[in-house]
Amino acid sequence: MAARARQVVKAYGSGETRVVALDHVDVDIARGQFTAIMGPSGSGKSTLMHCLAGLDTVTAGHIYVNETEITGLKDKKLTQLRRDRIGFIFQAFNLLPTLNAIENITLPMDIAGRKPDRAWLDRVVETVGLAGRLKHRPNQLSGGQQQRVAVARALAARPEIIFGDEPTGNLDSRAGAEVLGFLRRSVDELGQTIVMVTHDPVAASYANRVLYLADGRIVDEMYQPTAELVLERMKNFDARGRVS
Amino acid sequence: MTVFKTSLRNFFAHKGRMALSAVAVLLSVAFVCGTLVFTDTMNSTFDKIFSATAPDVSVSPKDAASGDDVQRSRKVPTIPASKIAELEKVKGVKSAVGDTVSTSITAVDSKNKKIGLAEGAPSVATNWDSAELSSVEITSGHEPRGPTEIMVDADTADKKNLELGDKVRIIAVPGDATFTITGIATFQVTNPGSSIFYLDDETAQRRLLGATGKYTSIALTAAPGVSNDELKQSVLASLGPDHDLKVKTKAETKEENKDELGSFLDVMKYAMLGFAGIAVLVGIFLIVNTFSMLVAQRTREIGLMRAIGSSRRQINRSVLFEALLLGVVGSILGVAGGIGLAIGLMKLMGTMGMNLDTSELTVKTATPVVGLVIGVLTTVVAAYIPARRAGKISPMAALRDAGTPADSRAGRVRAVLGLLLTGAGAAGLAMAANADKAADGSMFLGLGVLLTLIGFIVIGPLLAGVVVRVLSAVLLRMFGSVGRMAERNALRNPRRTGATGAALMIGLALVACLSVVGSSMVASASDELDKSVGADFIIEPDNGVIKPQVEQAVKRAKHLEHVSDYKLLENATITTPDGKRVKDDLDAASASYAKDLRSPVIEGTLVDAFGKNAIGVPEGFAKDHKVALGDVLSVDFKEGGTAKLTVRVITSEDTAFNKGAIYLGVDTAKDYIKPDQMPQNLMMFAAAKEGQDREAYKSLKAELTTYPDVTVRDQADYKKLLEDQIGQMLNLVYGLLGLAIIVAILGVVNTLALSVVERTREIGLMRAIGLSRRQMRRMIRLESVVIALFGALLGLGLGMAWGVTAQKLLALEGLKTLEIPWPTIGAVFVGAAVVGLLAALVPAFRAGRMNVLNAIATD
Repeated sequence: MAARARQVVKAYGSGETRVVALDHVDVDIARGQFTAIMGPSGSGKSTLMHCLAGLDTVTAGHIYVNETEITGLKDKKLTQLRRDRIGFIFQAFNLLPTLNAIENITLPMDIAGRKPDRAWLDRVVETVGLAGRLKHRPNQLSGGQQQRVAVARALAARPEIIFGDEPTGNLDSRAGAEVLGFLRRSVDELGQTIVMVTHDPVAASYANRVLYLADGRIVDEMYQPTAELVLERMKNFDARGRVS
Repeated sequence: MTVFKTSLRNFFAHKGRMALSAVAVLLSVAFVCGTLVFTDTMNSTFDKIFSATAPDVSVSPKDAASGDDVQRSRKVPTIPASKIAELEKVKGVKSAVGDTVSTSITAVDSKNKKIGLAEGAPSVATNWDSAELSSVEITSGHEPRGPTEIMVDADTADKKNLELGDKVRIIAVPGDATFTITGIATFQVTNPGSSIFYLDDETAQRRLLGATGKYTSIALTAAPGVSNDELKQSVLASLGPDHDLKVKTKAETKEENKDELGSFLDVMKYAMLGFAGIAVLVGIFLIVNTFSMLVAQRTREIGLMRAIGSSRRQINRSVLFEALLLGVVGSILGVAGGIGLAIGLMKLMGTMGMNLDTSELTVKTATPVVGLVIGVLTTVVAAYIPARRAGKISPMAALRDAGTPADSRAGRVRAVLGLLLTGAGAAGLAMAANADKAADGSMFLGLGVLLTLIGFIVIGPLLAGVVVRVLSAVLLRMFGSVGRMAERNALRNPRRTGATGAALMIGLALVACLSVVGSSMVASASDELDKSVGADFIIEPDNGVIKPQVEQAVKRAKHLEHVSDYKLLENATITTPDGKRVKDDLDAASASYAKDLRSPVIEGTLVDAFGKNAIGVPEGFAKDHKVALGDVLSVDFKEGGTAKLTVRVITSEDTAFNKGAIYLGVDTAKDYIKPDQMPQNLMMFAAAKEGQDREAYKSLKAELTTYPDVTVRDQADYKKLLEDQIGQMLNLVYGLLGLAIIVAILGVVNTLALSVVERTREIGLMRAIGLSRRQMRRMIRLESVVIALFGALLGLGLGMAWGVTAQKLLALEGLKTLEIPWPTIGAVFVGAAVVGLLAALVPAFRAGRMNVLNAIATD
């Protein structure tokens, strides 16, 4: 397993104002797989991802990346973990405006003081199709290109897991399809593990497996999804979710 | 009205972001108000003491020295005691009392230590009479009676630990005398700093004037119902048209005393206000930056306001209204701070011996008004450009996902304008450096300084691009990607970096300029000393002239090859061969003075100038009045006597010491001026016998132990004195510039703090992808250091250019040696880096502590 969550609870506030975002969640993320986490707004899907990625702390329970338990790690260790073993793709504002594309891509390695693996870097750049634009600053790139740079950055450091938080949320459908295509290929061709939070059934259809979250609990999962199946499941789930 | 409500809310919502701007306003206003309160308090304190001590009407000799003027010769202008009886009979006079006052005294205790209160404040000896009771009260012992008793004022007694029975020696022009303290008198009003010594009537005359039966002035008290002016008129009437007396009312005496002091206080006041002005200027940069950044951060919000119908003018006004609030709050605190500052200054003066009472703090209505006007105007003017920019934000901004728009392209107009100004300024400086006349040159210098300063401010954003890149190439390479990001961050908004750096530049440019001029002054003087001063020892009084008994002491010293007298004959009238009459001061000295100061000569031999009936004139004088060697000049001495003197020497004016002096021999002067009217030595010079320097120095020092008001220095000590004096002056100026520099540092902190807020999401992103807290903090510190060094580099460069130009110009006045104080310049540069580090402390800490999740949350 690339990552595991065991009986994870995340609660905000206390007493009457206590809100439980994650309610005893158990998750296993398989290595070399593309996992999508879906659920309605407020279901806790972003919180789950933040906790798995070491961005947020949990109230109770344990999280492991590979075999390392990350719950309880100090900020310094967590930062190192994120830097060396995890990649991120956010919905927007993924890139530093002062750095050009290639500098953004190599940033995590630069920060760590590691030399990027040239051959690997070239391959990643080629895969995401940015070869001609490496010297461009983010504001000289389209939204799709910016997200591709973000994908390249996440891939370049060869992290154990890449977490995507609605990575195509701000893109039109064509650009979104491109980015998702790259993510899919990186799993298939490069053996990358990817976890993506989304509420777009089309995006989820690129994954190997979809986890459904509602009210802070895993309520269902689906392997080899298609957009239609996911949409169907979501409608069904919406109705059921409301009733329960 | 809603617009105002939103600005009010904004103001309070962002009060943290405004805090540093408010502090900048506060500091500037406090400095202005503090200066005003302090000088007003000084003025009113002196006013009170002058009122308390001045008689209704005073009668004194026409040629009497006024106020604190020193007694220059043995003879003091006096009035015969018989005049008192005459004046008592004048209508309207209630009483007439003779006064004997001398400010040319030094009081020393039994350990030969000076008793004076503050450095520079006079010691006064006077006769005790009952009229003094209007201003003082005897609080212990009794008034002085007889030739050995003295009474001293309580402040002096307190500060110098004098008690009844202690011995006090008074060194006066007629001689020394030792007294026993028998009384202590306390002033009814605050006595700011003079030490007062009371003697009985006859002793005062004998010891201060050298003879009895005369007074330096007569104090008249008006009879009830007679005004001072009426009394003055009736006195004048009774004296008739032919008299050589001055009659002054209380108001006139007060005015006269205040005029002297007033000009000193005015110089101080305007100098301090000048420094406050620099701080205000620097503060403007800070405020402009603050409002620019607040407006940029609020782009979407302002767009929304515009979208729902606010007019440009309303937006514009709402920003200005915020500035107004900031100005008012800052200024009110500043006025309060100013009063505190004034109290602090008074306490400081107290530790230096001056006696000021904080209960007499004078806050005129004008003070808070001036403070508020300056504070509010500065803030509103500084916020004007950002406010206009806010007004121009389109309603579309509300819909766009507006990050902060980076205006990395500084306009071409700015570049052209900046280059033109800098070029014109540089030309001005070049012309100043090559000027032939000091007057033209100083105009060019002023113009050059102003234009290059403005030019640099205008062109700052462009320079920021270049300088920051160079600095980063040198300094930040070793910090890898963190260094690179710091560089890019410093460069991303050149206008902001430019303004922040420019603020620091102003203060540091002045520091650099003054340090260059100051060290050039020391170096030039020390070069001149080596070149032209032959005297081994220089004997100087602390103030005034060397008293006769001190002169004798100097001449008693052993192991000396020669001792030279050196006096100034003021205001002599010289009739030149072309019949013109010129008033000038003459330098009279012994023949050996030609060895002591080897003034460069154009024609003749220097020593001949000091021969019998000879005179030496400077080349300028010779040229202006077509005087040649061998011509005879007729000289009317102010002290009496007319001499026909032959020009034996024409001296060069290419020198720093005694530049343009007219020389003659002391012996020549003695032939025409009566001994008791002959001015005392202003300085004395001496040379040791071959190989006996140390013994001679020791002997001179030994002779002068009893006269602590005169100091003998050898050349090395004299150089050190020059260095110390210039160093002290520079330190004072640096201290005052410190205010402007502090405001500039606040500016750096402000820029960084606001940048951190502005870059919240970036910081979050970097933290998310693995930048450690430590790296984050280092990145911000490096950015800060680069900005500070940018300002320092600009300031030091500009200031050194100014300093070098000033030296070139002042070379005409003898400042011939250029010395750039590299240690100081280096220290300032390193200091700027340290300031950069310190300025980043809090912003870096806050950036490090930012919550990653909040930072990356898409709002």
